[in-house]
Amino acid sequence: SSQLSSLPLQILLYVNGIYYIFYFLATLAMIIYKSQVFSYPDDFLAPDLAVLFLMAILEVPRSYLGFKGNLTEAEAPLGLSLGLTVGSVVLCVYLLLWQTYVLWADVLLNAVLLSAYGLESGLKVTAIAAFVS
Amino acid sequence: PADSGDTAQERVRSAPAPITDVARLCVCDLLVAQCDANCCCDPDCSADDFSLFTTCSVPVVTGDSHLCRQKAAVYSLDVEANPPERIFKLIDQVNPSIFCIHATNYEQALYLKSPEIPTPENFDQLLDKFGGATFSAEPDSWNLDTDAQNPPDANETSRYEYGVPVQTEDAFLRLPSPVVSSWCSDANPAGFLVNQATKCIRSVSVEKCDSIQALSMLFYINSSILAVPKSSQMVNITVQSIAVQSLNGTRTLLNSSDVLRLPMVLDELCINAVLRVNYHITHTDTGEIIEAAAAFVLGAISKEALSVEQSFEISFTQEDAQPVPLSGNPGYVVGLPVRAGFWPQGYPFPAAFLTNKHSQLTILQSTSTQDCLAAQGARAPVLFGYNMVSGCKLRITAAMKCQPLAQTLLDVLKGQSFPEYVASFGNSQAQDVLDWMPITQLHISEQMISNTLQSSCQIPVSLGIEVKWTKYGSLVNPQARIVNVTATITSTTLKQLPSGRERIIPVTSSVVFTDISSPAEPSYKAWPTINIKLPFDFFYPFV
Repeated sequence: SSQLSSLPLQILLYVNGIYYIFYFLATLAMIIYKSQVFSYPDDFLAPDLAVLFLMAILEVPRSYLGFKGNLTEAEAPLGLSLGLTVGSVVLCVYLLLWQTYVLWADVLLNAVLLSAYGLESGLKVTAIAAFVS
Repeated sequence: PADSGDTAQERVRSAPAPITDVARLCVCDLLVAQCDANCCCDPDCSADDFSLFTTCSVPVVTGDSHLCRQKAAVYSLDVEANPPERIFKLIDQVNPSIFCIHATNYEQALYLKSPEIPTPENFDQLLDKFGGATFSAEPDSWNLDTDAQNPPDANETSRYEYGVPVQTEDAFLRLPSPVVSSWCSDANPAGFLVNQATKCIRSVSVEKCDSIQALSMLFYINSSILAVPKSSQMVNITVQSIAVQSLNGTRTLLNSSDVLRLPMVLDELCINAVLRVNYHITHTDTGEIIEAAAAFVLGAISKEALSVEQSFEISFTQEDAQPVPLSGNPGYVVGLPVRAGFWPQGYPFPAAFLTNKHSQLTILQSTSTQDCLAAQGARAPVLFGYNMVSGCKLRITAAMKCQPLAQTLLDVLKGQSFPEYVASFGNSQAQDVLDWMPITQLHISEQMISNTLQSSCQIPVSLGIEVKWTKYGSLVNPQARIVNVTATITSTTLKQLPSGRERIIPVTSSVVFTDISSPAEPSYKAWPTINIKLPFDFFYPFV
């Protein structure tokens, strides 16, 4: 029988993982820059940092489950990964819209990440449909 | 966005909302309802005013430059047009940087916070926070640290040091002085070893003058001084002398200074009001106060007077020492008198010089009458560094005899007791004999050498004191030191006058200070030498 694992999904997952590392470091550096240049009280700094680290913590199982699900052609891990992706999307939207200071670079990074998540989600749904049937 | 008092106080009027529209903001609009010069954004200016401007002092009004896109108001003058007109453009300013602020969810980031309007409810809290001389952004956690530091410091000062306030039983020894304006402030403490003299004005009313504390002697002597800070040893302030000053200014010293004279109202005058206090504090060389005395001048205040001028002075003397005013420490200070003295009769070397006011180096002081014989006694002290010339005119009649005239003129020129020695340093002690330079006296007689006949009369007409001084000590802080003093008396022949005629001759005296310092030679520290020596038993078995 033909292979059911989705190659585009695999490529996207791989690229997304690398991009996410860059995204995390860049966003953290920009938060540090903002705290030095602008007036950034602790009450506002704490939620932003918390969201960023929460997203990083979520990314690990999300990515792993995505890989595993796609390679073993199992829909359960893939479904779980899809659920975690929804959480990551919410946090990404927060960083895009409701951060204390949203710089133009923030907008670019988050937009790229959101589009990657969106594409990934679409491919995962297709893959699950393929595995289930 | 206005930051109105959002703690549910409806009656509170909040501060007016700040203007954020760049088209209406104008920083150079300072005069209300008038046109400011060269202010292109001023709404009070008409087109005629704009035609007179040369440039726009505020060319652009924008918000925070970090924003990615913002409106900017651009003002410029079109000088090509006739008459020149102002151009106002509202443009979108774009910040090309990738780190520009696209949006912010934090209101106060880009605007200054509107301050809290004081109301009866929050006034006390605002006063606590901002009422002091300083306030910081940090909360009150600073207070804990400063409290902890105070107790250890208290035990360290067991004696007075220079500048430390002299403590008394209740607070500090007060030396009222003018603060900001000329009115007396009683909160000025006297510093140890800081000789001060202050003058200030106090407002009085004659009816209540016995209840004004600062006019009574008790206020100045009732609290005793602590001998060392924070100790229980007290030194009472004794009354050294009391002088009473009458309304026309004459002072009489009272014989008995034990009686305490308090102010009271008598015949529409307030008598026994304190006009002057001189404190004299005696201390040991280890910083302990052993004696304190106060000399008072009491006076009368008339009914019309609304204020009285009080003067205060404090001086510190070490015990067993005679206070001698120094003219510099160690080099002479420009403007202070040159210290001089002479040996009292006691050859070869008596214990000390006599240096008192009467034997100062002085020169004749010019008076308004310019008559030498009438001006006897008016002398001015020679101040270091100040060249002085003075003189008077002598009217000679035929009846005057030569010898007494010459003696009188010599007295006029030199003064009653012309000193013989001058201190080379401003702080030379009388015991250090080598620090005192003798004054060289020269006589020049101004006449032809040949016709010296026994009957000619020589009268001194000019005294010139030349003080040669040098710079002594380090290159960065040279001290002035007197090396040589020469007093030259020039005499001239007095020709006999025919009877009935009179002549006027000028008599002058001058002091000149000459700097004979040799050019400074900078010297350098010697290179450090490496001093290596082997221990003596280094080659033990072989030597």
